[in-house]
Amino acid sequence: MILPKFDYKKARTIEEALELYNKHDGNAFYLAGGTDLVPLIKLRLLQPKVIIDLKGIDGLKDIKKMNNSLVVGPNITLFELKQNPFIKDYFPCLFESLEATSCETLQMRGTIGGNILQNTRCLQYNKSLEWRTARGFCLKMGGKVCNVVPNSKSCFSNYCGDNAPSLMTIDAKAKLVSAKGERTVRLEKLFSEDGRSPFTIKPGEILKEIIIPLKKTKGAYEKLTVRGSIDYPLVGVAVTVKKDAAVVAVTGIGPSPHLYEIKEINEKSINEVADWAYEDARPVLNAVLTPLYRKKMVPVLIKRAFKRIGAGGGR
Amino acid sequence: MKTIKVMLNVNNEKVTLQVKPYETLLETLRERLSLTGAKESCSLGSCGACTVLVNGTPMRSCLILTPEVEGASITTIEGLKNGEKLHPLQQAFMEKGAVQCGFCTSGMILTAKALLDRNKKPEKRDIVKTMSSNICRCTGYKKIIEAVEETSKK
Repeated sequence: MILPKFDYKKARTIEEALELYNKHDGNAFYLAGGTDLVPLIKLRLLQPKVIIDLKGIDGLKDIKKMNNSLVVGPNITLFELKQNPFIKDYFPCLFESLEATSCETLQMRGTIGGNILQNTRCLQYNKSLEWRTARGFCLKMGGKVCNVVPNSKSCFSNYCGDNAPSLMTIDAKAKLVSAKGERTVRLEKLFSEDGRSPFTIKPGEILKEIIIPLKKTKGAYEKLTVRGSIDYPLVGVAVTVKKDAAVVAVTGIGPSPHLYEIKEINEKSINEVADWAYEDARPVLNAVLTPLYRKKMVPVLIKRAFKRIGAGGGR
Repeated sequence: MKTIKVMLNVNNEKVTLQVKPYETLLETLRERLSLTGAKESCSLGSCGACTVLVNGTPMRSCLILTPEVEGASITTIEGLKNGEKLHPLQQAFMEKGAVQCGFCTSGMILTAKALLDRNKKPEKRDIVKTMSSNICRCTGYKKIIEAVEETSKK
């Protein structure tokens, strides 16, 4: 598949990247690993005039411990991050989701920043231009109808990141930088809940740091897929347990992960959250498994994760 | 559109090329350097048939823009043999019958080489995990894993 014409620029500093972005007035895209971006351009879902490569920026590739936090640079590959001893010791949930992401070769290329900010997916969206033209453009492509749920005014595309839900359960924050300055937001605030444009990041903003409070946790990540590797979650469940409390995040259904809190872990509270997540999950026929099966698997995976952590739950 | 000057070290040979900014490494290797060992299959990064080693790391060359890897060392399947002598992995793939249609083979061998370079004695489950990065549509996984296992024992 041949890429459409665009220009390539390599930025050496964040300032240079922001300047390049402003110069091209919104027709530019930032490139890190490219495992999400390049296929989207190949399928003509994005039409950039210029690609700004962020891999040359030194400061975006560090992991450091600062004031009881782990500060992770977004350009660190998933494979490098997985090997950091803090991750396995402190955040088993994140370690498991990193392990479950795609396959080793793509983990060596894909970055944590790019993995968090990957576009939402839909069986009717991630297709070639010819296929989509024949079918008719949907809401996410700028059309007037949803091709999955006729008459719907909103987009049902699924957020398929494995690692953002795990990071949300361990209270991660994202530091964003733009020409106007820096801002730090909780990771869940990055999601707009609108499948057409799934993130609240402003045009040109760059993810500079992911900040994770350094507290030992227990956790697990459960992922429903049809293949053993190179697969997006059809449902993903991240659970982190801190003393008596727990946080559960459900991904793979709808444009943003859903978060649930448990104040005191016991059989009853786990069942309540599982039921609640079941009610909240509204899958539609836009992934390779049926919506009903995916919905039914939400509580199953939640209970399974708790059981594996050793904190009750069912099979 | 103007081209970009890129210097690469491909299979221990320095090359300087003028490439298009939107050219993938796979296109450069196959069409400019006639190294057709890396194959184009899905072209979207799913299958691994285009895998080459970039500074020793296996990567999908269909997802990499050539200007991104300026200055890097690239190893393709053509660069594995030593003179007339095949790489042990290539030999093992032949002996174990791990090649059926052969389309995935170059990617498989390079993925396996990177594994054996970083882990001299991998366990079977490590081999399975690493080799699951590549898809073989002939479904000849068993023999591929056997070939890698055999090489790791040598």
